[in-house]
Amino acid sequence: MNETLQVLFSLFIFPGLFGMVALALLADWVDRKVYARVQQRVGPMYTGKAGILQPLADVIKLLSKEDITPGESSKFMFNFLPLAAFAAVMSAALLLPIGFLNAYNSFPGDLLIMLYLLGLPTIVYFLAGWHSHSYFGIFGGVRAVTQLFAYEVPFLLAVLTPALLTGSWQLSEISRLSASHPLYLLAHLLAFTVAILGLQAKLERVPFDIPEAETEIVGGPTTEYSGRKLAVLHLTHELMFVVGSATLASIFLGGFGSGLWQFPLFLVKTFAIIFILSLMRAAAARMRIDQLIEFSWKYLAPMSCLQFLFIIVLKVLEIA
Amino acid sequence: MKKSVIARIKEWARLNSLWVLHFNSGACNGCDIEILDALTPRYDVERFGIRLKASPRHADVLLASGPVNHQSAARLKRIYDQMPDPKIVIAVGTCACSGGVFRGCYNIHSGIDSAVPVDAYITGCPVKPEAIIDAVAKLINKVKAA
Repeated sequence: MNETLQVLFSLFIFPGLFGMVALALLADWVDRKVYARVQQRVGPMYTGKAGILQPLADVIKLLSKEDITPGESSKFMFNFLPLAAFAAVMSAALLLPIGFLNAYNSFPGDLLIMLYLLGLPTIVYFLAGWHSHSYFGIFGGVRAVTQLFAYEVPFLLAVLTPALLTGSWQLSEISRLSASHPLYLLAHLLAFTVAILGLQAKLERVPFDIPEAETEIVGGPTTEYSGRKLAVLHLTHELMFVVGSATLASIFLGGFGSGLWQFPLFLVKTFAIIFILSLMRAAAARMRIDQLIEFSWKYLAPMSCLQFLFIIVLKVLEIA
Repeated sequence: MKKSVIARIKEWARLNSLWVLHFNSGACNGCDIEILDALTPRYDVERFGIRLKASPRHADVLLASGPVNHQSAARLKRIYDQMPDPKIVIAVGTCACSGGVFRGCYNIHSGIDSAVPVDAYITGCPVKPEAIIDAVAKLINKVKAA
């Protein structure tokens, strides 16, 4: 009975549906506040205390608005895709090495499942743009996939570096080992940098917001989405923001420990990464797609390879 | 008449999160600069949850500036139709209200309301950002009272 309750708690409260959605909204608020402060503005102020309910108001408003399916679009795919992306990111959230559920779904290799589930929304963006049958959607979708080829390889290499260092492909094992060896962070600092840049590109945020560049192609893949479906896409994006940051926190920053300490540690480490990503969004301007591909393959990919070599040398010399 | 809890939550969310689409239907760019001005640190309309959006499908408010000419009338109508309900249209600037100095020209309609229904008019050539914020605040109060 107790076990059932624990599983239900994990599925629906934390790290399940409600807790994650709440954290996603909180992350959106933090992001907007940091962005505004860097621009000498104050950001949302009057929706709840210091505007903390602003993301909630946005989502409720989108949920209550008219839901348009354009006549030209492929109806089924257009309506189904936002849910697919949402489901993928929620499943990824359950794989995080935190909470009761981890005793059941943690297995060697779940790091890869996590990365695939986080990669799925990009494919969904592409398909969503394609099936909305609008020029901007198609352009945005094609750009999303082109961008995927640029950042995915350096990002994967960077994220797999801790796996190599700790000798495990299991998220909970990696975080446990890197928590007991704090110097590991220094050893893969380069990989951490590449992973942060890769996550920013995965989330399609400035300076890598090429697929949804609103000054060029309106809204990219989401151009034709409105109402409920846009709300789900918006939530998916914010969820990915949290889950991606939490993944990086668990493999690079030593995870979340065990017991009651998990939740505060989760908040601190995840929001530290969210803070870095928000600062990057505020400080940079958008790159062109060719600049991004050049940057990823000329600098990011060699950097991750170098990091890989460094780890192998450490392993061979039996320092780590 | 007392509104139900759900209706009140919906109204709260809607009024606190107005996403704006800006459309120039033939303005001289004066009003457009002032609209962008409202987003800058000095006025910062994001305080009220107002955000500038690029796609009409995402927007709640259409800020249209400029006298409507024959070419832009059909496009203005189309953009208005693409916005999901409930939607608000604000005519920004004297030209958008009545046609302004261009009224009576051979190619000019007389203002935004000749193409789409308008909820609020802001005069000025160009409008002041304070006037835009004031109009939005009055409009919010009007929606609340209704």
